[in-house]
Amino acid sequence: MRMFATIAKLLVKRVLTAIPILLLVSALLFCILRILPVDPAAMSLPPNATVQEVEAMRAEMGLNLPLYQQYGIWLNKLFHGDIGRSIHFRQDVTSLIGSTLPATIELAVIAMMVATVFGLAGGLFLFYVRGTRAEAVMDFFSILLLSLPEFLWSLFLLLIFGVFFEVLPFTGRLSPGFERPLVTGFLLLDSLITGNIPTFFNALQHMILPCLALGIALSPSLMRVLRSSLLDAYQDDYIQQARLRGLSEKRILIRHGLKNAILPTLSLMGVQFGFLFGGTLLVEIIYSYPGMGNLMVDAIRNADLPIIQGAGLTYCVAVLVISIVVDSLYLILNPKLRVR
Amino acid sequence: MLQYTKGRPLPLWLKSGRVQTGLVIIFILAVCAIFAPYLAPNDPNEQNLLSILTPPIWAEGGDAMFPLGTDSLGRCVLSRLIFGARVALTVAFTASIGAMVIGAFFAHVAGYFGGWVDWVIGRIVEIWLSFPPVILSLILMVGLGTGLRNVVLAIILVDWTRFCRVLRSEVIVLRRRDYVSAAQLIGFSHWRTITREILPGTLPLLITLMSLEMGVAIIVEAILSFVGMSVGSETAAWGQMIADARQNIYDAPFNLIAPIFAIFFAVFGFNILGDGLRRTLDTRLTQTERT
Repeated sequence: MRMFATIAKLLVKRVLTAIPILLLVSALLFCILRILPVDPAAMSLPPNATVQEVEAMRAEMGLNLPLYQQYGIWLNKLFHGDIGRSIHFRQDVTSLIGSTLPATIELAVIAMMVATVFGLAGGLFLFYVRGTRAEAVMDFFSILLLSLPEFLWSLFLLLIFGVFFEVLPFTGRLSPGFERPLVTGFLLLDSLITGNIPTFFNALQHMILPCLALGIALSPSLMRVLRSSLLDAYQDDYIQQARLRGLSEKRILIRHGLKNAILPTLSLMGVQFGFLFGGTLLVEIIYSYPGMGNLMVDAIRNADLPIIQGAGLTYCVAVLVISIVVDSLYLILNPKLRVR
Repeated sequence: MLQYTKGRPLPLWLKSGRVQTGLVIIFILAVCAIFAPYLAPNDPNEQNLLSILTPPIWAEGGDAMFPLGTDSLGRCVLSRLIFGARVALTVAFTASIGAMVIGAFFAHVAGYFGGWVDWVIGRIVEIWLSFPPVILSLILMVGLGTGLRNVVLAIILVDWTRFCRVLRSEVIVLRRRDYVSAAQLIGFSHWRTITREILPGTLPLLITLMSLEMGVAIIVEAILSFVGMSVGSETAAWGQMIADARQNIYDAPFNLIAPIFAIFFAVFGFNILGDGLRRTLDTRLTQTERT
């Protein structure tokens, strides 16, 4: 019961600090994008519009008001769920983000699972070979891995499995001809709900390469942190105690070593998940995956300010939500923090 | 301060194999960048529309004029690779120095003075961290406009927080040391205490971070030029080469491998240097961990 109280307290505190952060971020976004040498009014009119028409449009869009007033109007609309209308796509930004965000979340979550598996396995292996000659080799190898960001991994995997061996698809979320069920927007989930097994497997195939790229790129830092936290944990007396009690090495590792070493790894994962969420942008472009990253880059190329603002803010909210979730998890798993 | 006189053995950090590997890689890249016009077989921007997407010299149909083949506009891949090192290294050095100066300044101020100064700087860093770095740098590039100077500026504005966060906690540890109190008692000014007493202690960490930041800067520049938000198309950059090769992936897969390897090689050089420096310069690591 006390645990829930502490977690609830943490949640309230974190959400309360997130609000001013979001306000400042939105102001920052608004200012950066307002100093642009682009005129949104002229852009939303046909090229042959007269100067008077552009002026009228500017007045209508509120572009003649002082900056802080413009920001106030924008913020007020934001609270009513209206981030504006895309100039390029001629669609509401909310619906554009709503249709692309699930794809990105799906990608990020599965990639995180891949990273966790690789990170745990790699970290345990690095720990297992400690003090042997293999350690130096593995350590060197992990720096090698650290030098390949998700961006290069995606291209590399695409080249090997998509182009040279042609075993996996590498464009989009589905092959042509597959029916796309629409319930929640999460393709894997939707195809399972509607019982569309072929679509499920096709979608899964499309996700293998992007998720592997993101997951592998993230795992070396997890491996290294897990290894060093395991090394730290094994310095403590309770490990020696457990040995004296005659527990098997495996049991010591899982019940005593890992249980303590997982905490720093978890808090790193929280930070990394934020980075991963940003990293999906590149991976999406490389694999032509229709998520927020592609939307964002399209918007940037067309100087489509409402989308850039909306998507930027969405990324920011995502990072804040992730960090709050990870902090709560940390509290659940770490009894030391619960004692008042 | 260590005095390097004749007959004195090499300083510990230079003896590390990792540091040596990193320095050799960076040296190779620097030679490519500085002497690019002499090393490159062709003009990196010259278009040979009659021989587009030729394979590298060892493959069938390779042309001796273009050792690594040509891209979709018939530009020499090897020459673009060599000239691309200029952009990469310029960004790596200037952006990391800039980010280091700003980050270190705020870290020292926050850690040394504490209180509300620390609070304000901490909150600013928190706001920055709520943005994925890639997204923030893209948005900044939209605001600033393309060009080498703006790429550097965007990376500085995004990455100073990396230095600030890590160095701040180091400063907090150091400022509690007796010699810092002693300096304050003698009547050293705040500025003098920070630069003479605290900075020498944070310097090893600072140098290590900077080496790692150079690798990060190279990656960010490649990402920005990949999406066309970095230097203009008339300057050869590795990210641009990747974007071009991605369009012709079936016809010329090697065009993709060359810039990927170049980026990896450069980032690996800075990372291994950073790791070597961390091991040898960090005074808290034990002797066994260093080797």
